[in-house]
Formats: sequence, structure tokens, C-alpha cells
Amino acid sequence: MATSLGLNALRLSLSVLRPSSCAVVPCQLTVAHKSHNATHVINYRRTRAEMAKAIRRKQNFLHFELVDKHRHSPLQTGTENISQETEVTAPRNYRYVMPEFMPRPDWERRDRVLEKLERRDMMRRRAIMNIPEFYVGSIMAVTVADAYAPSKKNRFVGICIDRGEYGLKAYFVLRNVVDGLGVEVMYEMYNPKVLSIEVLKLEKRLDDQLYYLRDALPEYSTFSFDMEPVQLPKGADVPLNTTKVKLKPTKEWECRWEAHDLQGVQPFEVNEKRMRRKEKSAEPWKKHDLMLDYRSRVPEEEEEQVMAEVFREKQVIDSQRKSMRTVLKKRK
Amino acid sequence: MMAAKPLLGKVLRPCSIALFETHISSKLFPISSVCVQQIREKSRSPKYVVRPTTRRPWHVRKWTTKQDASLTSENETFVQDVIKDQYLSPSPLKEGPWERNDFQNGTRRTGALALKLGVIKQWTNSGKSFYVTLLQILDNHVINYVPPAQYSAYPSHKPHHAERFGLQIVGALSCDPRQFSKAYNNLFVKAGVPPKRWLTRFLITPDAAVEPGTALSVNHFRVGDFVDVQSRSKDWGFQGVIKRWGMKGMPASHGVTKSHRKMGGTGGGGDKDGIWRGKRMPGVMGNRLSTQFGLKIWRINTKYNILYVTGPAVAGVPHTFCRVKDTVLPKKCLREDRSENVPMPTWFPEDLGDDPQPEEIFDKDLFQFTEPSLVEETES
Repeated sequence: MATSLGLNALRLSLSVLRPSSCAVVPCQLTVAHKSHNATHVINYRRTRAEMAKAIRRKQNFLHFELVDKHRHSPLQTGTENISQETEVTAPRNYRYVMPEFMPRPDWERRDRVLEKLERRDMMRRRAIMNIPEFYVGSIMAVTVADAYAPSKKNRFVGICIDRGEYGLKAYFVLRNVVDGLGVEVMYEMYNPKVLSIEVLKLEKRLDDQLYYLRDALPEYSTFSFDMEPVQLPKGADVPLNTTKVKLKPTKEWECRWEAHDLQGVQPFEVNEKRMRRKEKSAEPWKKHDLMLDYRSRVPEEEEEQVMAEVFREKQVIDSQRKSMRTVLKKRK
Repeated sequence: MMAAKPLLGKVLRPCSIALFETHISSKLFPISSVCVQQIREKSRSPKYVVRPTTRRPWHVRKWTTKQDASLTSENETFVQDVIKDQYLSPSPLKEGPWERNDFQNGTRRTGALALKLGVIKQWTNSGKSFYVTLLQILDNHVINYVPPAQYSAYPSHKPHHAERFGLQIVGALSCDPRQFSKAYNNLFVKAGVPPKRWLTRFLITPDAAVEPGTALSVNHFRVGDFVDVQSRSKDWGFQGVIKRWGMKGMPASHGVTKSHRKMGGTGGGGDKDGIWRGKRMPGVMGNRLSTQFGLKIWRINTKYNILYVTGPAVAGVPHTFCRVKDTVLPKKCLREDRSENVPMPTWFPEDLGDDPQPEEIFDKDLFQFTEPSLVEETES
């Protein structure tokens, strides 16, 4: 008797748990049912698997390659596709000359049409205002429109200590010591208020960022505003400045420079505690992480394609500027 | 378990309960629980939102996994040709164009479905920088129009909406019809367009109804007008209170154990005891519909069908679907007296006339990169 009762109970409970059973669903929605209450009917009997399915992350966006597939689909009408010509090839190291033209390495945020339109805007601006080739470590002069200056213009000379960002957001930072006070200015490269950018001395340094000049002796970042531009011989490589700066003797720096593996700094000593801390925070495995390296850059074929397009348009702009210069010379 | 437990307690002896729980309970009685999504504003209605995980009963099944394995590669190309022939040639059965009304105050036009492409920087003519979001209106077609009388009989209609509005069904991104179910493909028969990856509906007034099968392009909107953009935010999955609500957590040291990232108290005691509805707690974060109201259109690219709208605030990662429509804000919406030549009910290629379409249209306050640099004028 007890077992049959148990079996009955089992059957009953199973029927209760079955989601399609009429006994479970409190009100079955028919098509003609009018729901004036916007709340959804709560399903109190969700299984653990159903719960996991409900709260998992859902992909509510399309992969950029699928979007490109839709753009190139024969059924798609009304929108043109971007054309990719690769007849011209850029020099191999061209991406270091104009790094802000590189696409973002983050594949989730990439879009080829947006990149193309952004590059076109940048090239239009470059046709109006010349942005010369420069690197971190070059000495530059920038003139901007300034409403508060008496001559409505402001010229600043300094050493480029950093450049970054992609596309129209690209910027660089100049540093100089004016009247014994360190001054750093960040300029947006494509800001229409920037009137001219000139490179007074084209050279590279041993590091990608020179923020350690803040803690170096002031003579390393002092430049005269009347500095004459230094001409390089035609076709010469960009010289590498191998000076090693001396950091201030006081160890109260902005940053723990001993942990940063700096090349352009004279060797210095720090106390044992800081050395221990450096070893603790070191991440020596990062240079062996192939996936990290792969994710931090765009594929090589893509990079070549983009740089070929940029190189071609740059040549067009340069030839236009050359012809303009000859016309002006003839007029004189 | 909640409902099954009293039943077991009445009928079964305690020993059999123990037996079930130890051995086969997990198979027979799956643990069920409630997923109640908390929301921020307590005054909103409905007071709490449950994330629907099941389709509405009036939705048809969309995808199918049926595949014809016997299809050879030659047949495959033939089938693709047939699909192209069927959809790219105009149908002889199509009725003539619907009549076009003038824009009046209170007219609500249809919107469009756009893909969010990303965010870039632009400058105004005074030199101020700001961000714009690029929205591409790709492959949009009007699928259906439902007049108000028919809409009022729909189970999904909102109260009082059907007194004024009808429905305009719009779809985006044409697909191969073989990957969809038959019922889903039948939705597109009337319009004569390929089945779309995405469908949405807009509430419109009957004087702005568009004929099914009409393509929507970026020219439906004009530079200088304002739009509302709806999209789904990034899905973060199940997150704790620090990420979800920005709570502070507790210190990393000083005797704190096991509660570095936990919520503090859940409320007071006495008369105010219990956990109040709407208490901020861990839960599913993101994937919620968010609306940005009154975004200005600064620039339009007619070649690639791209809108440049104000701000970086359109929710979601790039390639999220956005619903773009004329704004409902009273001071920014379309009006007879301040907006002339509104494309009604939408823009048609005939409207162009003999002039070629400019590839890019700019707002008068936007800096164009073909213009010279901005110079401050000297006082004379």
C-alpha cells in the first residue's frame, strides 16, 4: 500500500513538474487575450538549467565579419560597399610613420566602413594642414589659435614625450621647461584650431614614452623657443638619439622607474625594499604570451591593405602641395 | 521544490524523503527558483520586471535547422540564382504607389533600423570638440502596415495607442530564406522582399503609412533634425553589486573577511523591516533597452547610408541594432512651422529630381575638414 501510494505521489509530482501540463500554468495565454498589465507571467518552476540559460550572457550584436557579409550580399540594395585596391604597396615600416591610421586592434569594436570614413576625414585635414613625420623624442613647434593671446596665436616649442590614440582622436604631448617651470601641453592632431605643426629636430629616442623627463634634471627638457630647424640630408634615416638622461638624486619620483625597464636613463640605485617590490610586481611571462601579442595588433594583411591606401593618398597630397609650391615660386 | 515539498510531506514517510533527497532527488525534482530582476526607480510601473525568456505566443518561430543534405554544389548555385531572380526583379503583381499626404502637426512618421558602427570625434565651427555616433541604415524595407482598427484587435497592443496609431513593420538585413522557418518567410510575401534578420515595429499615424516593399534610406532623416535612438545595452551577465550598482564594498584588510565585494545592509528594522522591493542586489546586468532622446543629426553620408548623431551614449557595443525615429520631445520634434519639406511618408528616389545627390550633407555648425583652419579674429 505504501509503495503504491509513493508511486502515485511520484506520478503526481512529475506531472506537476512538467511545464506543458495544464495544471501548472496558471493562466494560458490565447491569441485573443488582451493583457492590460504589462508584467510578464512569472514561471516559478524553472529548472536549474533553464535558470542558467536565462542568466547567461547573450550576444545582442553582430560579429563585424557577418555585417561585412551582409554589406556584400547580392540581396542588399541601396548602400555602396567600400572598395579595396591593393595595387600600391607601402614601405614595410610605414605604420610607424603614421601610426594613428592603424585600425584598432580590438576586434569587437572594429568596423571597416567607419575606419574608412574616419581615414578620409583625416586625409582631408592633412591636405589643408601639413602634419609632418615625427616620433617620440622629436623637438617640435606647434601654433594654435588662442582667443586670449594678444596676437590671437600661441606658439609652443618642446620635446614630444608621448603620442597616442587612433583616428581623429590622435594626440601628442610636448614638454618644455619655461622659466624653471616644467610645462606639458597635449595637442589633438586633427583639431582645426591647430594652425601649424613643424618638426625642428627629427629624431627618435630609446623609449616609447619619455614621461621620466619629469623626474630628470631640467636641462634634458629645456629648449629655446627661437630654435632653428635642423635639416636632415635627403633620403637619410631618422637618427636615433642615444643620450641617457640622469634622474634627480631624490627618490621621490612620480613613478617607480626601476620597474619600467627604461633604456634612456643612466643606471641608478634604489633601496632593497623597492627592489623587492619590483621583483614582486614584475610580469616576466608577458613577453612569452603569444595570444596577448596577437590580440594587441591587427592582422598583417589588413595592416598592409590600410597602409597601402594611406600611402597612396599621402602621395597624392604631397604631389598637389609640390605643384602648388612651384606655381607660387613662378608668380614671385 | 517549493510546491512539491508539502505534497511529499503529506504523502510520503520521512524515510522515503531522505532516500529521494540523497540519491535521485536532483534528477526527479530539479531545483527551481525565481529570477526577479530588480530595477532602480521604485516609482516606475511596473514595479518589478521579470526578464522574459520565452517568446510571446503571437511570435512565429524564426530559425530552422533543416538542411537539404543532397544538394550538390551546382544545384546550390542554381538555388542562389533563383533567390536573386525572385527578390531583385520587381513584382508585376505590386499595386500602384499609395497617395502621399502633407506633414501636419502631430503626424508620426515611421522610423528605421540602424546598426551602431562606433564613435568618432568631430569639431564645431567654433572649435569645440564633441563625439558623434555613426549609425548605418543598412538594407531597410517596410514589411507591413497595420491600420489602427486592426491593431486594436491585436493581443500586443497598448491601451489607447490603437485609437491614434497604426503599426509600421520594418525589417533590416536581407538573408537567405532557407535558414528561416516557413511561417517566418510568409511574413515577407506581401512586401515581396527577402526575409530579414531583424524586424521591428513603429507606431505611426495613418497619414504617414508607407507601402510594404518600400526601401528606407538615410534620406528619410534630414541634417539638423533630432532623433530618438533605442538600443540594447551590452550584456554583462550575472554581476555583483560593485559592478552592477557601483557600491563600495568593504576594505581589503583591517580584519575584513569574506565580504570585500559584498553588499552592506539590506535595510532597517522595526516598522520598515524586510527587504524593500527594488533593493539593489546582484543580478543580471545589461541587455536592457535604453532610449536616448533628442540626438541631433550633424552629418549624413548618402553613399553609405550613415547618420552622425550627437554623443557617445547610444547603448551597446558596435553592431548593435538601433531603432531610430523622429524625436518625441516637444521642443525638438518636427513641426509644420519650423520644419519644411519633411519627406512624407518617406523619401523616394523620384524626389531627387535632376540634381545629383550630394554624397555628404553637413550641418551648418559642423566643421568640415576641407575648410581652412579656424583662426581667431584680431580686434582692429
